[in-house]
Amino acid sequence: MGISELLSTYGGDYLSALVTTWWMTAVSFAFVMVLSVAITVMRVSPLKPLRLAGDFYVQVFRNIPGVALLVIVVYALPNLRVVLDYTTCVIVTTVLMASAFGSENFMSGINTIGVGQIEAARSLGLTFTQIISKIVIPQALRSAVLPMTNLLIAVMLTTALGSQVPMNPEELTGIVSYINTRSTGGVLAFLIAALGYVGTAAVISLVGNRLDKKVRILR
Amino acid sequence: MSAPARPTSIRDALYEAPGPRTRRLMVAGTVVTGILVIIGIGLVIRQFYVTGQLAPRYWTFLAQPTTWRYLLQGFRGTVSVALTAGVLSLLLGLVLMLGRTSGIRPLSALCRVVTDFFRGVPSLLLIYFFFLAVPQYGIRLSSFWMITLPVTLAASGVLAEVLRAGVNAVPRGQVEAALSLGMRRGRIMFKIVLPQAVRFVIPSLISQLVVVVKDTTVAYVVSYPDLMQNARVLITNYDALVSMYFTVAIVYILLNYAINKLSGFVAERMGVKIIR
Amino acid sequence: MTSDRTGDVPVIELRHVDKHFGDLHVLRDINLAVARGEVLVVIGPSGSGKSTLCRTINRLETIDSGEVLIEGKPLPLEGRELAAMRAELGMVFQSFNLFAHKTILENVTLGPVDVLGMDKAEARARAMELLERVGVAEQADKVPAQLSGGQQQRVAIARSLAMHPKAMLFDEPTSALDPEMINEVLDVMVELARGGMTMVVVTHEMSFARRVADRVVFMADGQIVEEGAPDAFFDHPRTQRARDFLDSIRGH
Repeated sequence: MGISELLSTYGGDYLSALVTTWWMTAVSFAFVMVLSVAITVMRVSPLKPLRLAGDFYVQVFRNIPGVALLVIVVYALPNLRVVLDYTTCVIVTTVLMASAFGSENFMSGINTIGVGQIEAARSLGLTFTQIISKIVIPQALRSAVLPMTNLLIAVMLTTALGSQVPMNPEELTGIVSYINTRSTGGVLAFLIAALGYVGTAAVISLVGNRLDKKVRILR
Repeated sequence: MSAPARPTSIRDALYEAPGPRTRRLMVAGTVVTGILVIIGIGLVIRQFYVTGQLAPRYWTFLAQPTTWRYLLQGFRGTVSVALTAGVLSLLLGLVLMLGRTSGIRPLSALCRVVTDFFRGVPSLLLIYFFFLAVPQYGIRLSSFWMITLPVTLAASGVLAEVLRAGVNAVPRGQVEAALSLGMRRGRIMFKIVLPQAVRFVIPSLISQLVVVVKDTTVAYVVSYPDLMQNARVLITNYDALVSMYFTVAIVYILLNYAINKLSGFVAERMGVKIIR
Repeated sequence: MTSDRTGDVPVIELRHVDKHFGDLHVLRDINLAVARGEVLVVIGPSGSGKSTLCRTINRLETIDSGEVLIEGKPLPLEGRELAAMRAELGMVFQSFNLFAHKTILENVTLGPVDVLGMDKAEARARAMELLERVGVAEQADKVPAQLSGGQQQRVAIARSLAMHPKAMLFDEPTSALDPEMINEVLDVMVELARGGMTMVVVTHEMSFARRVADRVVFMADGQIVEEGAPDAFFDHPRTQRARDFLDSIRGH
């Protein structure tokens, strides 16, 4: 199948798949940020039970393979009376995993601040809340830009898990396997999808690098 | 300069030594959150219980040696795919990195494109490529290679970047010193730079094995008998989906946890940082 | 300079202060009073507890027993009261500890604006004055990493001064500096002392101590071994430990 034939037959499918990948990535990433912050707050809190729970979460979800988690969400949770539609399952899986890495990014952002600045802030008479909001969070956020850019790309790649469940509409990896089981698209069918991913990743990286240059903290 | 034992972890440095009021609050907070965590765990267990998932018939098969023998077989499959892909991707990653840092424009550009490509596509897409597209060209691959090759390609892009970071970490002065001794670029790379670069990135290479292990879990797409695939077979035999999937997930988590720990241990021993 | 010793309560007073780090007894029954306008220099070998002593004054280090009094009032143990008391004491660290994400100017205005509630424009004007005074006004819009160590430390001093502190604590302010930068920081400190600032200075700079101190305190093994006027102390130390220490630093 040539490129023109491929595009004329499946062009619309590719486009809707790309858009599906995009919005799943965007929605997932929004939740990832929220959950990452929550987990990080637990992990830096002074309360032992919260710290333990946060650390445990990160160890579990940074080490579990995506498919292993996906099958649990899709097939095991309904047995525990938690039923989600397939797209939601993929997003939940992506969010749970990526948040572990997101929290790690925030933690290392916090770690670069250094004890000295905290002590200096304390000596100036800043209260705990002021130290967190004026010194810790701004610095942690700014040094997390680049790692979070990479995480956003990783989130996009993780949404390819959608190919493992019946989704409607399909996302970018799912659509290729669908096309290839119906006709012989060959390398080309894959390259089109790959281009969608690589192109998006390139744009994300570009924007991320720009932003990082703007907000990077010299040390 | 007096340097007594001060808190080094910023996690602790955020809080100062508590006064009596803070201490009371902390005790109360610890108790309350402790109870909340226990209630949370309790609710999960309760959900297992009320849905009947704690019934013995779902769990007794885990006591049978045949179950574990079969899972072990699958585990061996996982390990052989992961190790083969690990070694191959290291070689390919090395080639890509050398090409990119070669200083030969077209080669460097090509290697950069290839590296970015493999880093920018999902490993699942590569797996479907080997499963669906490659056979269309009359190439017959065993299921082992159908899973190992895409996993290799996916990892090689990342490893090329890790290795490049290692090369960049070698002080520039050493290359200059070697150049002034009259060594040629190629020799400098292999004799001076690479040995040190590899040393810098060994822990990072180990931790990348986690990514490889994760990627192998889609081996069922090509029907290769790895841990996940064998677990799926067992599920149809025993009709014990929840317990089986949780068991397998725990095995994977422990395996990857161990790899990460090893990587961290090596990093500490060698005094280098882990690049992700 | 030594003049202002009216019947006032001391600005800083430590009474029977003890502190342990695990098994290590880092402060042993420390009694010390710093009068208004007094410049107190604390010297001693590494691990003598002098830094810890300095840090207990604004409770960056807690104490096991005894009392720390600021203008006769006990140092609060926690919360807003403690923060408010700290705002009245300036602190300068060995490693400068400027806020890496803020410009030089913002470093100096942060305290006045966020702690004292000063108007932003006023804080900025005040800050520029102070930066001028310590000689880094041209750097106001840069970030700390763009400045030399000596410049950063002078900014750190300006940052503390912006709070109108009752006293300034210096914890080895020149120990992390390259030799050629030490004097530019010491000069600022000398000027401060001349202006009547109450200062506690932990340092290895003996010439500074001799030139500026009203009183020198020599510490060893967590104890105050000897104290007195600088000339008396440096020329005729009474204890063997002080003699050994002075010999060792003059050795090189």
